[in-house]
Amino acid sequence: MKNGALLIPVVLGWLAVWWMLPREKGRSRILGALMALGALLALQVTFLPPVGNVVRDSLFYLFSGTAILSGGLMITDRNPVFAALWFALSTLAVCGLFLLNSAPFLSAATIIVYAGAIVVTFLFVIMLAQQSGASNYDHHAVQPVMASVMSFVLLGALLFALQEWGGIDGKAADEVKAGQFVAQDAKVRANIFSQPPSSNKNEIGSMRVLGRSLFSDYLYFVELAGTVLLIATIGAIAIAPRRSQGTL
Amino acid sequence: MFDWLKPHDVLWLIPAAPLLACLWVVVVGHVVRRQYAHRPVILAIAFSAVLSYYLLLKVVPEYFGTPVAHDEHAQEHKSGDHAQADHKDGDHKAGDHKEGDHKKDSEQKVGDHKDGEHKDHDHKVAVAKAKPSTAISVNVFGETERDGKVTPVPWIRIGDPQGVPTLLVLPTLRADAMTALMLVMVTTVSLLVAIFASSYMKGDPGYPRFFAAISAFVFSMCMLVLAGNFVLMFVFWEAVGLCSYLLIGFWFKKPSAAAAAKKAFVVNRIGDLGFILGIFMVWQTFDGSIDFDTIFGDPSVIARVVTMQPEILTTICVLLFIGAVGKSAQFPLHVWLPDAMEGPTPVSALIHAATMVTAGVYLVARCTPFFVHAPTAQLIVSGIGATTALIAAITALTQYDLKRVLAYSTVSQLGYMFMALGAAAAGKEFATLAVTFAMFHMFTHAFFKAVLFLSAGSVMHSMGDVIDMRRFSGLRKALPITHITFLAGALALAGFPLLSGFWSKDEILAIIFEATKHPKHGEFFKVILGVALLTSLMTAFYTFRAYFMTFWGPEKFPEEAGHHPHDAPPAMAIPLLLLGIAALVVGGATGPTHLYGNYLAHTPGLPAAHHHEPNVPMMIISSVLAIAGISLAYLCYVASPGISRNLKSGMSWLHTCSQEGLKLDAIYLRWIVKPLRLVAQISEFIDRWVIDVIVDCVGFLPGLFGAALRPIHNGFVQSYAMVMLIGLVVCLVTALRVLAGM
Amino acid sequence: MTSTSLESQLVIGAVLFALGMIGFLTRRNLILIVLSTELMLHGVSVNLTAFGRYHGNPQGQVFTIFVLTIAACEAGLALSLILTLYQRRKSLDVYLWGNLGEDDLPVFTGGGTAQQTKPLDPNADLPHLTPAGRAPATPATKT
Repeated sequence: MKNGALLIPVVLGWLAVWWMLPREKGRSRILGALMALGALLALQVTFLPPVGNVVRDSLFYLFSGTAILSGGLMITDRNPVFAALWFALSTLAVCGLFLLNSAPFLSAATIIVYAGAIVVTFLFVIMLAQQSGASNYDHHAVQPVMASVMSFVLLGALLFALQEWGGIDGKAADEVKAGQFVAQDAKVRANIFSQPPSSNKNEIGSMRVLGRSLFSDYLYFVELAGTVLLIATIGAIAIAPRRSQGTL
Repeated sequence: MFDWLKPHDVLWLIPAAPLLACLWVVVVGHVVRRQYAHRPVILAIAFSAVLSYYLLLKVVPEYFGTPVAHDEHAQEHKSGDHAQADHKDGDHKAGDHKEGDHKKDSEQKVGDHKDGEHKDHDHKVAVAKAKPSTAISVNVFGETERDGKVTPVPWIRIGDPQGVPTLLVLPTLRADAMTALMLVMVTTVSLLVAIFASSYMKGDPGYPRFFAAISAFVFSMCMLVLAGNFVLMFVFWEAVGLCSYLLIGFWFKKPSAAAAAKKAFVVNRIGDLGFILGIFMVWQTFDGSIDFDTIFGDPSVIARVVTMQPEILTTICVLLFIGAVGKSAQFPLHVWLPDAMEGPTPVSALIHAATMVTAGVYLVARCTPFFVHAPTAQLIVSGIGATTALIAAITALTQYDLKRVLAYSTVSQLGYMFMALGAAAAGKEFATLAVTFAMFHMFTHAFFKAVLFLSAGSVMHSMGDVIDMRRFSGLRKALPITHITFLAGALALAGFPLLSGFWSKDEILAIIFEATKHPKHGEFFKVILGVALLTSLMTAFYTFRAYFMTFWGPEKFPEEAGHHPHDAPPAMAIPLLLLGIAALVVGGATGPTHLYGNYLAHTPGLPAAHHHEPNVPMMIISSVLAIAGISLAYLCYVASPGISRNLKSGMSWLHTCSQEGLKLDAIYLRWIVKPLRLVAQISEFIDRWVIDVIVDCVGFLPGLFGAALRPIHNGFVQSYAMVMLIGLVVCLVTALRVLAGM
Repeated sequence: MTSTSLESQLVIGAVLFALGMIGFLTRRNLILIVLSTELMLHGVSVNLTAFGRYHGNPQGQVFTIFVLTIAACEAGLALSLILTLYQRRKSLDVYLWGNLGEDDLPVFTGGGTAQQTKPLDPNADLPHLTPAGRAPATPATKT
């Protein structure tokens, strides 16, 4: 079977997650960790061959491994506070991946928004809510088998698609030209503010290019996003309980 | 004065006016000015009546006689395969038919015939020999094409759309002499009854409903007699039954009225089954044709059937007669008519005495071309008629309910008409005479029975709706007009010499007497004649029994009448007087002068007739019987009332038997209704415990399925998200399988 | 920049997405459910930036910025909703919020017990609907 190899990381990963999902009685974390590591290793062997650049490879494996492991820990940890912290770690690792994709601005923004704002706020709420100690609903996973199986089937399907058509086996031989693949046509303008694309390839990912794109081609969408943000803020204020309705 | 009116417009205008009035009353008159709901109805019926007279006197006679091209109507005649029947002397052999011209093409259509000047009877017969009469027929809905042809729009068309249809029903209206006479009778009586009812029904909460139903009835009855084919006739046959049902059950809050309406409807259904089977057989036998013009217009059509299937016409006739038995309340289906007296009295007068119940007679008369070939069926008709006449007369002898006396007498007189119709079994040459006399008796009966019923209604009106003759008497001083009119009707019904009933009844007796001379069926008709004479005596007796019990003797009013019983107000008195006069003179005016008979003889399809001379000995016998019956009633109920009391106590068994209508109702209940009810109960049991259970089980399955699915809908977001995920996975995997070519 | 790098990042994005989905489906803590959706968004963001890099244009990053914006909106709204819900039930358990389900079904607890076994009249502020699949009670029911 041609694509049989992808079954190993998927099945191992499913076993690891299913094993570690919260239960009344905890399970051996070591076994779970072993399975998770095995799954990661299999994933690396099957899908993540090194590109040859040692620094880049090691950074990539570091960030991606951290992101996946801490994501898995986040969904399996019985303590919501730790889970939120694992999420923060996962976010940091993802920001590292952003950096590798030459998106320094995004990386910084994500850290600020997620780690700095969202996670902290959620942690705050969790701690407020659990003044009486750990709650038993965090010790029970809902429909664990079904959910994990279906999710991993989905993952398997995605991986299969990548393996079949993604060019991992060297099908995308024209990778050299990849940079010019969707070079913008100077005549196609999204709107009257559109600027001609940058001719300097090295500028890709720089804030200059990003800013130009955001505030020319995507100006309307930026405005729209801003409006949505404003409305969401108003909504959040309106929905959130008043002090007069009682304490949290 | 009506020259601008085309004959074909007359045809559809006659039923259209009451229909319009009915719709008006239903839509508007029911809401606005309810107490004036009678006005449009009376107006419409008057309009129809005037048109009917015009049709009788002007339009239909134009179709007697020599063919003359008439361009003005040529376009309207498109559909009309105008029947062309021969009127010949009876000396001609029956099979010697002169085939009438069938003109299919409207351009050549020669439909109108002029005959104005033939007053002399013999002359007319001689002339008619060469010039066949036709019927006017018109299709109600037609498409006029560019070249002026009118294509009739079929009402029912079954069969190959391009080819010859297996069943083609056109909404054809058709008028001939018989139709015109029926129309005149129907509209005249309806008009007078409607005027009477406008006063009689005053103050009733259902006043507009009553007049809507009356006008619907007049419409249906006109359409019934105008119908140009069997199917259309059947439809309005049912429609008059519906109107009858609505009007019997007019006071539907009264349980007895509701039960009577139901009984009338159900009993009529039995007859209608026969009628519709008869129509099927006609359709089958005559190659899919159900038009009167096609079947009756050309004698060769029936002759061909007779030669090929000699017995089939007997079957058809018996089936059609079953329909007539139901509608005309003949034994054994006569039980609904006395109960139908629960309806308002004008309804009894109009529908259950004068018009609707005569539809059966009309049907048999209309189908005379069939019946002449089926002597067996005619014997059955005659026998049933005689049985009915006798049973009803016996029952009427002891009734105390004034209206029931009249109802039984109606049944009895209808039996008379059927007796006459059946007398044609004695020979084909009697057929036209039999039809003429039966129709003539129907004609006179309509008037005198209407006046009797309306007078009874007037009595009821002033007696506070009391109708039991034991509770009032001696009303002749209190109700002079009613007394006069009732007396006129009673004399006419009893067959008092020179009044209406005398002439028509005498002719019936005469034709039965002629029939007794038949070598084969003579004995049968001797019995029939005996029954007829006996019934005649009893008719005179019970009619005057009712008359004397009501209007003679000591003056006595029931409490319901109040202190001063008042006679009929003008709106009731005038129709009463008009009908009373008609009851006295109409028979004498049209019977012995042969006006009626000669006119009716122009009906296409009737075989040639003998010239009929009055039978003087029969007249004397019937006069003697009538006077004897009246005298007997006087003796028993006025001169010495003790006789009747002694008779009653002496023969109490017979009295009870008579009073309960020979216990026919009880017999029907015991042997027909109860077994049927048992069958119904069994059916209900099967329905409820077998079929319903199966249905319930089927209905239970979706519930079961739903119960299995219900836990999915548990209200938790994650369950729903799970289902969404499953859907996504299924879609994705399917798409990938397709893309990967697996 | 190599194609392999793109594919690797897509794999990472898919894994993160799947993990987030498992978290969304299995955790009962309202806040962890919201955080799981954020994890799924991370997976998507990784994909977007990887493609932007691969194609050498800024659009991937632009979209990621929009995702970030929407995620922020969502987080704010979710937080206020969670606070409101918490105030009603004094618990973050999502199983206390099954009012839309059929009344008479046994409460599905997913293996554990709801912390607050008897909620404070859960339907007080909601209209009561006739459960689907059952005949509405009528005064005269057919036998």
